[in-house]
Amino acid sequence: MEPTKTDIVVLGGGPGGYAAAFYAADLGKRVILVEKDPRLGGVCLNRGCIPSKALLYAAHTMSAARESAHRGITFTEPAIDTTKLRAWKESILTRLSGGIAQLAKMRGVQVIQGRGYFEESRMLRAETPQGQQLLTYDQAIIAVGSKSAMPKAFDLGNPRIVTSREALEVEDVPESLLVIGGGYIGMELGTVYATLGSKVVLVEALDTILAGADPDLARPIAAYAKKAFKETRLKTKVAKMATSGRQIKVEFDLDGQKKEELYDRVLVAVGRAPNAENLGLENTRVSFDDRGFIHVNQKQQTTDPAIYAIGDIVGGVLLAHKAAKEARIAVEVIVGEDSAFVNVTIPAVVFTDPEVAWCGLTEAEARAKGIEVKVAKFPWAASGRALSFDRPDGLTKLIIEPDTERVLGVGIVGVGAGELISEGVLAVEMGATAKDLSLAVHPHPTLSETLMEAAEAFYGHATHTLVRKK
Amino acid sequence: MDLKLPNLGEGADSGTVVNLFVKEGDQIAKDQPVLELENEKAVATIPSTFAGTVSRIYIKPGDKLTVGQRILTLNEGAAQLSTPTSVSKPRQALRVVEAEPGPEKAPCETESTPAPEETPPSRPSRFPPPAAPSIRKLARDLGIDLTRVHGSERGGRIVLDDVRGYIQRLQRLAAQPRTAQAKPAPQAAKPPPEEIDFSKWGPVSKQPVSPLRAVIARRMSENWNVVPHVTQFEDADITGLMDMRKKYAGVYEENGARLTLTSFALKAVVNTLKQHPILNSSLDEASQEIVLKQYFHIGVAVNTEAGLIVPVIRDVDNKGLLDLSRELEDLARKARERKVSAEELKGGTFTISNQGGIGGAHFTPIVNKPEVAILGLGRGAMRPVVREGKIEPRLMLPMGLSYDHRVIDGGVAARFILDLAKAFGGFKEEDVKL
Ligand SMILES: Cc1cc2nc3c(=O)[nH]c(=O)nc-3n(C[C@H](O)[C@H](O)[C@H](O)COP(=O)(O)OP(=O)(O)OC[C@H]3O[C@@H](n4cnc5c(N)ncnc54)[C@H](O)[C@@H]3O)c2cc1C
Repeated sequence: MEPTKTDIVVLGGGPGGYAAAFYAADLGKRVILVEKDPRLGGVCLNRGCIPSKALLYAAHTMSAARESAHRGITFTEPAIDTTKLRAWKESILTRLSGGIAQLAKMRGVQVIQGRGYFEESRMLRAETPQGQQLLTYDQAIIAVGSKSAMPKAFDLGNPRIVTSREALEVEDVPESLLVIGGGYIGMELGTVYATLGSKVVLVEALDTILAGADPDLARPIAAYAKKAFKETRLKTKVAKMATSGRQIKVEFDLDGQKKEELYDRVLVAVGRAPNAENLGLENTRVSFDDRGFIHVNQKQQTTDPAIYAIGDIVGGVLLAHKAAKEARIAVEVIVGEDSAFVNVTIPAVVFTDPEVAWCGLTEAEARAKGIEVKVAKFPWAASGRALSFDRPDGLTKLIIEPDTERVLGVGIVGVGAGELISEGVLAVEMGATAKDLSLAVHPHPTLSETLMEAAEAFYGHATHTLVRKK
Repeated sequence: MDLKLPNLGEGADSGTVVNLFVKEGDQIAKDQPVLELENEKAVATIPSTFAGTVSRIYIKPGDKLTVGQRILTLNEGAAQLSTPTSVSKPRQALRVVEAEPGPEKAPCETESTPAPEETPPSRPSRFPPPAAPSIRKLARDLGIDLTRVHGSERGGRIVLDDVRGYIQRLQRLAAQPRTAQAKPAPQAAKPPPEEIDFSKWGPVSKQPVSPLRAVIARRMSENWNVVPHVTQFEDADITGLMDMRKKYAGVYEENGARLTLTSFALKAVVNTLKQHPILNSSLDEASQEIVLKQYFHIGVAVNTEAGLIVPVIRDVDNKGLLDLSRELEDLARKARERKVSAEELKGGTFTISNQGGIGGAHFTPIVNKPEVAILGLGRGAMRPVVREGKIEPRLMLPMGLSYDHRVIDGGVAARFILDLAKAFGGFKEEDVKL
């Protein structure tokens, strides 16, 4: 078999992989993108970011309808047609992945559907439905992503024990649902199912949900969970699960005490594991850690000079926009630019109700590291905009370096926090000061004003809140 | 907490990783060596500036590192959360703004390029200097360290004008001394080296030039080109000295030291330097002054597998033969194991290169700038010598003293080497015995 020769092979068509392939093509490289799924877009598009946000939106219309009763508008109880819901969600995914395929075509990026396997440092074998194909290249970029972690003890082969992948299919709405894991995936999917009507119990081994977020930002989410979930159990571990007829018998370890319960469905959301198996990495010089995350330096170079790696497969924060940033860096390094992942601000967003978002330094981190900071806060109860849509349960805060007044971090909880955080990212990336934020006019009435007012609060003169002088 | 490559001193800003001592998951202490870096002068071990657990390593042997580059990430304190859960993941979003060890924390001092009107390193912030991403990218492209640039905007934010001003200042500064001192015009560009295919004439094998070899090559030609060399020969009578060495070698051995000719040479040289301080001086080319040093730090050339390394023994005048013997052995071992720190290679006032262990008679060593003289010792051999009218067999040590003729005149050098020969012959029992 005669191998096909190209400049760059990208393995994996997720937000890391397709971003890399497109950028490299835009810079004049000949690129082949190898993706095993028939649809491009990776986890994010097919079974992650996009479907979860679509379902959250659908669920939100239901909770919004329920909450409008006290405003004098009532609806009858909604009926849920999961087939239609699924079809609507599918249509979004089809449209998006079709768009990506289209963009690939227009750029001249050749897409090969097939599983990729490294025969050696500079040769990849693609197992396509039409047979094997060998590719040789100057550089390969690995972007094979991650999958839901499934601890051995939970893996009974019982279809009632699911991961986010199956949960996003919404086959039905179970009576009772146990969510294991209080990270963002568990919280987001717990929110979807609780709104659709499941009795949700969420367990978390740590003493808080959303462990990365500052406690004051996580508090409104905990309050929401208290109301919407049947129960949230912290410091609780699932010791064992067993099939019990059409249900799952779950044994909990509550701070040393044992407890048994039955559930119709169990969602395991305890983290992600890298897709490191069956890649043929042993035929290259690529090295990885004991969990399978590939080692890279800040130029996204692996220990094999011909191979780069980006996205979830290299660990760190497992988010789509981190993968896309790393894609840019890898390609720039390949074309000879001096690019590196240094001082890059990666924002985090949790799409719960309300949303939580933060970027840069958090208050908890500053405290843990003994970094002296000033924290300026603006509670949304003082925002006209937040009150006008009945959601004063929000908070905007700035983490500020005292001497320079530079904004080191921004944290927001509240409806639409995910959209608002970008101003924070820009402020942190630009090295903006609290003064900059307070001097820039923000339109009224909008939630973005909370950033300006938090900055004004730092100087002791926010219009809509009284700052006690210290 | 990220560990980054600190300043290496000696104006060096990069090196190649030759050895990595830690792996992910290792618990390491503050100051524990984490890697060996082959840089311009030698191999230096880079210690950790914090304690903690290594959570990630970004480099591998063979990588070229530049100052400020991330080596590894340490989690301070106890092990992190147990489950591999995405719950704890968003926290890492903060790798962004982690404090960089400021320049003041670097273990070696920089002897770097002139620092024109720079922001003093006392910058209050623990964070990288505030600047827009576009400015940071520009600085990276141009190789400009933004911590040295003064930011004119609110909060010390660096804007394009600041970078422009900084570059202009650097340029002015670079041009100044040249015009002021009416130095010769910059050398005409060197013609590209000629390509020769040696395999035309027979089989060959090839070796890469190691960074150390490249430095030796550069420094040797620099010294050879700049310093007008003269070499003065003489033989020293070391018959008595070697008798004494034989007599006391055992006692020294019991005290954990090997008494060698080089230990004696150190003593003899320093005693003679005291009589001829000009040989313990340097020519300050910038100020056009001769700097006479009141300390005696002697460099000793050590032959290692990788090439020549010259560690320096400090304050030789204040040390006895026993201490010197111990220190010599220690330094030679460190040099061979390539563990000599950059610090230990600096500040020499005179160098001794003893090839007696290998053999051969006189040779003409190259002066190790900014020192002004170097002593090359060959192998001592029995020779017929005429003493008081009779021919006697004596053990004679061949010496070659190369010196910088800009600073030292021939007469001075001749007197020095005669006094040195006398010093070799003049060791007394009480100098040696413990
Ligand atoms: C439920 C859920 C919600 C999420 N929500 C968000 C969110 O809101 N925001 C956010 O930023 N991130 C979110 N994420 C995370 C996000 O999906 C990932 O960070 C992102 O997809 C990583 O992109 P990637 O390119 O590294 O890999 P992936 O998206 O995992 O893509 C890897 C691709 O490689 C392919 N592949 C693997 N092995 C091979 C092989 N051998 N040969 C060929 N192809 C192969 C796979 O089929 C896949 O298409 C979410 C994840 C989940 C599970």
